[in-house]
Amino acid sequence: MVGRPLSEAELVERAKHGDQDAYGELVHAYQGIAFRTAYLLTGNGADAEDAAQDAFVKAFYALSRFRAGAELRPWLLQIVANEARNRRRSAGRRVNLALRVEADPLSGGAAPSPEVNLLAGERQSALLAAVNALPEEQQQVVACRYLLELTEEETAVTLGLRRGTVKSRLSRGLARLREQLEVSDA
Amino acid sequence: MPELERALVTLGQNLDYPATPNLSGAVARQLAEGHRPSRPLLRRRSLVVALAILAVAAGAAMAVPQARSTILEWFGVGGVTIRYVEELPEVPKASSELDLGDRVSLAEARRRADYDVLFPELEGLDRPRIYFRDPPAGGMVSYVYGSEAAPKLLIQQFAAGGVLKKLVAGATEVDFVSTRTGSGVWLRGQPHDLFFLDASGEDQYQAGRLVGNALVIEGRGVTYRIEADIERGEALRIAESLR
Repeated sequence: MVGRPLSEAELVERAKHGDQDAYGELVHAYQGIAFRTAYLLTGNGADAEDAAQDAFVKAFYALSRFRAGAELRPWLLQIVANEARNRRRSAGRRVNLALRVEADPLSGGAAPSPEVNLLAGERQSALLAAVNALPEEQQQVVACRYLLELTEEETAVTLGLRRGTVKSRLSRGLARLREQLEVSDA
Repeated sequence: MPELERALVTLGQNLDYPATPNLSGAVARQLAEGHRPSRPLLRRRSLVVALAILAVAAGAAMAVPQARSTILEWFGVGGVTIRYVEELPEVPKASSELDLGDRVSLAEARRRADYDVLFPELEGLDRPRIYFRDPPAGGMVSYVYGSEAAPKLLIQQFAAGGVLKKLVAGATEVDFVSTRTGSGVWLRGQPHDLFFLDASGEDQYQAGRLVGNALVIEGRGVTYRIEADIERGEALRIAESLR
């Protein structure tokens, strides 16, 4: 007889008691978002892999401090973000994100004409350039909130900020992006 | 969702992420080998020694009424603990090695920090180089005076969540002080290191920076650190001039 899959809360509870297989399932579930978060904060694949891996190991030993009933994803991502930002500071580099070469900038619907695709691609490139040019603290909240599609609360926990700070940085960041895009459209 | 936000979400879906590595396998191997991530050397090495000496130091201080009221205030309200340790690690001296963040103007620092950034208005002080770093949450503003290679005076401020632990080497003299900016300690003789919970409750660590003497004060949720090869009176005058 095959039992039902364990819930996340059950996996956490088992991992807290040292069950590494249960923890492995949690790592598997969150490794994608953890790696992408680390990549957006370091701008480098190797650093992102190291940061995410170390974060998961640290998180395992810190599970006793994880409150039952709390959201696991932002708690994990906060540890990932700390590791990533430490590496970024050590490397002293700016994050410079890039688009996929084969990216289809329009999703869904009928296949767009090459001209429409080109125009949408140019807009995305302009937007990405503006994101890359944001001050670091605005870039990080914009990346978490929109590029990773975290909630505002998750963004706050992940970056170790108050929610009000996330709101104000998002507001300043979006205003700056609008200004940049108006300049590039002019 | 407004157009710009929708465009950002679409942008996130089209970013050129490297393929996600098999982290679950690597993490499982590390855990199976009993690997534990490294933590700051000082924190591990000093814990036992620090706790033992803290008990002795606190006990001795309680015998003096004036000291008792000061320390109780720090422990209860300021949440400050001072721990003596045998030895502190080497720290970088040049400001380029201090990891202070971005070089900014005072206006930019004030715009980026989540608290009211103060500036020393004391006659005789040159214009400092100003830096901003985040984390710690809320940002840390640093004023560096003197040359790039050998800074003479460092003033830092950051939002601290109320629990501040200082590790001081054995020979350091500690005096409790009070200024219009806040209450704190004057540390003289040996470098100190600082642990604190930042505005988001995240544990932060800073090594001592320049020379042995430092004034560390806390007021209205912000911690100020003034370090230089100066005496207590001069450090207090700088603290009093923070506006």
